[in-house]
Amino acid sequence: MAAVSQSFKTELLGAIPSLRAFAVSLTQNADRADDLVQETLVKAWDKHESFQPGTNLKAWLFTILRNEFYSQMRKRGREVQDSDGIMTARLAVHPAQHGQLDLKDFRGALEQLPEDQREAIILIGASGFSYEEAAEICGCAVGTIKSRVSRARTRLQEILKISGEDEFGPDAISAQVTGSNAA
Amino acid sequence: MKEMSKKQMADAANRHRNGDGNPLGANSEIARKLKQYYDELVSDRVPDRFAQLLSQLEKTEPAQKKD
Repeated sequence: MAAVSQSFKTELLGAIPSLRAFAVSLTQNADRADDLVQETLVKAWDKHESFQPGTNLKAWLFTILRNEFYSQMRKRGREVQDSDGIMTARLAVHPAQHGQLDLKDFRGALEQLPEDQREAIILIGASGFSYEEAAEICGCAVGTIKSRVSRARTRLQEILKISGEDEFGPDAISAQVTGSNAA
Repeated sequence: MKEMSKKQMADAANRHRNGDGNPLGANSEIARKLKQYYDELVSDRVPDRFAQLLSQLEKTEPAQKKD
């Protein structure tokens, strides 16, 4: 059958940073994440023919990675997430002053979310997928993704004790536009 | 830059109204932190093992299946 094309390989390489970010978000563990990415690349390579050129390769890869993650979780009997009591230990996060929220606190809060909510909020809020793409990646309905994102958001606000999230001022926006360079 | 942020503000407001944009609220603290968290992960240096893995896969590739 057809050999793996050079462009497919190049695109795989290009997708690795995103795959690693998604894998860390799912596993909350850098080593496990890289193993997951490795598995994903091997699987993608093996079944490259089932990828339809012109469709979203990144979404296809994320789907493979996610399936792999959950099948590993099932094999491990899901002892992964709260095995060492991280959950309860991390419940107490310092109240965040607006705009002063520490990235470490945020990471801790994210870690407390159930996987389905965490992946939904990451796919939509960080990886840049549409609801439709996220639904396809997760194999569920668009409405399910929407409600997971919304629950994730509420939960994060609770954990981080953030209020006033709905405010919509120009200051907050320009902070977002220029923020990444400022730091 | 001022003009741009005005436009972006309008766009964001539109998306917000239509409900099809960032559901976190484009300028919310959570949306920003989420981006920051993720961008940091994306910009992490990719270990060499992945490029090596792809080269290896490429070498072993002529393991063709017959069906």
